[in-house]
Amino acid sequence: MASVTLKGITKRWNEFIAVKDLSLLIEDQEFLVLLGPSGCGKTTTMRMIAGLEEPTHGEVFIGGRKVNEDLPKDRDVAMVFQNYGLYPHLSVYENIRYPLKVRKVPKSSHLEKVRQAAEKVQLDHLLKRKPRELSGGQRQRVALARAIVRTPTVFLMDEPLSNLDAKLRVTMRAELKHLQHELKITTVYVTHDQIEAMTLADRVAVMDHGIISQMGPPEEIYNDPANLFVAGFIGSPPMNLMKGKLYENNFQHPNFSISINHKANLEEATLGIRPEDLILCAAQKGVLKGTVYAHELTGESTLTTINVGPDRLTIRGPKEFKINIDEAVGVQFEASKCFLFSNQTGERI
Amino acid sequence: MGNSIRKQVADLFQFALILCAAVVILVPIYWIASGAFKQQVDVFQLKLLFTPTLANFEEIFRSPYNLHEKFFNSVLVAGTTVIVAIPLATMAAYSFSRFRLRFERTMFLMILSTQFVPAVVIVLPYFLLFRDLGLLDTRVALVLVNLSLILPFAIWMIKGFIDGIPLDTEEAALVDGSSRLQVIWNIVLPMALPGILTAAIFCFILAWNEFLFAVIITNSKAVTMPVGLSLFHAEEGVLWHLISAAGILIMLPMFGLAMIIQKHFVQGMTLGAVR
Repeated sequence: MASVTLKGITKRWNEFIAVKDLSLLIEDQEFLVLLGPSGCGKTTTMRMIAGLEEPTHGEVFIGGRKVNEDLPKDRDVAMVFQNYGLYPHLSVYENIRYPLKVRKVPKSSHLEKVRQAAEKVQLDHLLKRKPRELSGGQRQRVALARAIVRTPTVFLMDEPLSNLDAKLRVTMRAELKHLQHELKITTVYVTHDQIEAMTLADRVAVMDHGIISQMGPPEEIYNDPANLFVAGFIGSPPMNLMKGKLYENNFQHPNFSISINHKANLEEATLGIRPEDLILCAAQKGVLKGTVYAHELTGESTLTTINVGPDRLTIRGPKEFKINIDEAVGVQFEASKCFLFSNQTGERI
Repeated sequence: MGNSIRKQVADLFQFALILCAAVVILVPIYWIASGAFKQQVDVFQLKLLFTPTLANFEEIFRSPYNLHEKFFNSVLVAGTTVIVAIPLATMAAYSFSRFRLRFERTMFLMILSTQFVPAVVIVLPYFLLFRDLGLLDTRVALVLVNLSLILPFAIWMIKGFIDGIPLDTEEAALVDGSSRLQVIWNIVLPMALPGILTAAIFCFILAWNEFLFAVIITNSKAVTMPVGLSLFHAEEGVLWHLISAAGILIMLPMFGLAMIIQKHFVQGMTLGAVR
């Protein structure tokens, strides 16, 4: 068990900066998720912890020990890869045993350890098969079993569920969470899937262009976004963002205005509100008016998209709700549910 | 109805074309194969029925032809070439595939470009070199020449197979606790084995069939099978019945190897699909 500390790490390839002066403390036994869109530097950050990439600047500590010069094999981490990284010429048993074999763990204990790891991920009946004879979910379990077979100090998981179908992903997510809780091993998990991040993490670090945009518990990231990027990235569908002016406690949009208790005056501001905090009503009763652009049933709720001047808003409603396209509607919302951002800095105000 | 007739005609035309191609390819092989079992007087007669004889095979192993010596030379030269070339080529191919080296592209292009130099251009420098080194008419010289011809080809071919191994697999092995050498030995080699075998067999075939350098560098002790074929002539002209018998012996190992290649080549091609 160990904490992981990154001190001002930068990764640069010629002119391209993948990770920029990033500092981060991952507590012992914590489940930290690095979340962000493709190319934000999350995988590079993880690979620098694993030792598969060398930081251009900065220091990496695992369990208080500086590991910059250490080879991946000497860092005592285990990693699960997006494409599983299984050894196709070896059986499931040999795949799981591999870390024990190369680390010269006494042979007499191999069978027992492999069996225990395989049992934890319900693979014990498939030990003789080759990876090509397994389904995607089973392969993922082999990769997991291989990671847990020798109890490393840190788990690194690089989008481990992204190759699975939607249903299996939900099952595996729960299993991962359970496994981490049981093993109590510090885990760094990389994903672009915010649902995975919200459900698995003790803390989420939202990354954008090589820096951490915001870090905190999932509920804080969702309920209290620090900037426009996080507000727009977290949530499915994402937060509605409308550009306007902030003037004397009033947010003025080309199509409506709403009084908001905020002293700042800004020529360019953005008002954000989550789809579930908007309520559709009759056109004449709403804070703002619009016309229905699309109406979708997602199963547990409906999503209605309406055009409001230059903007398009998404509103979550009950699953029984029905409405026609091009119908005029009003929208009500409470000022207390709104978030205000400066367009210039992108930061919350 | 019209469509169906048109299709039948097209099929017939296709069949005729394939038959022509097969005849063009197979007739010389048939001619050699039948000639090997004919007596000298029958060789030029196209009769399908003749009394087969094994006398030709006996004669080629007797003096003055002594084909077994040439066969031994061929096996030794081609075998040694492959045994030396494949490990070297595998290491070079791995480096080209996995490490970002300085002037990597230039180096790789230079290695490949050696394949585009006509052999006849470099045969004289080689001849002079081996003469000065006292290596003319030795198997060592042939192995060295074959290595220079085969290594670039083997590097290029094996690199293709190593490129197909997902990087994730190697990185997983590194994190699991392997050193780079262990990764190569435990993971890369077994996964690239069908490709390496294919390359080895291709290289063996190239070395086995090499004629130009062998005919110039050797004259008695180190003569190989292809050169040996050109020795079958006498006062009465070219001894086609003996050439045919020797030709069969040259071809047989190649047929066997081609069959193995076919199986492994398909395996090699699908290697990358296994995740």
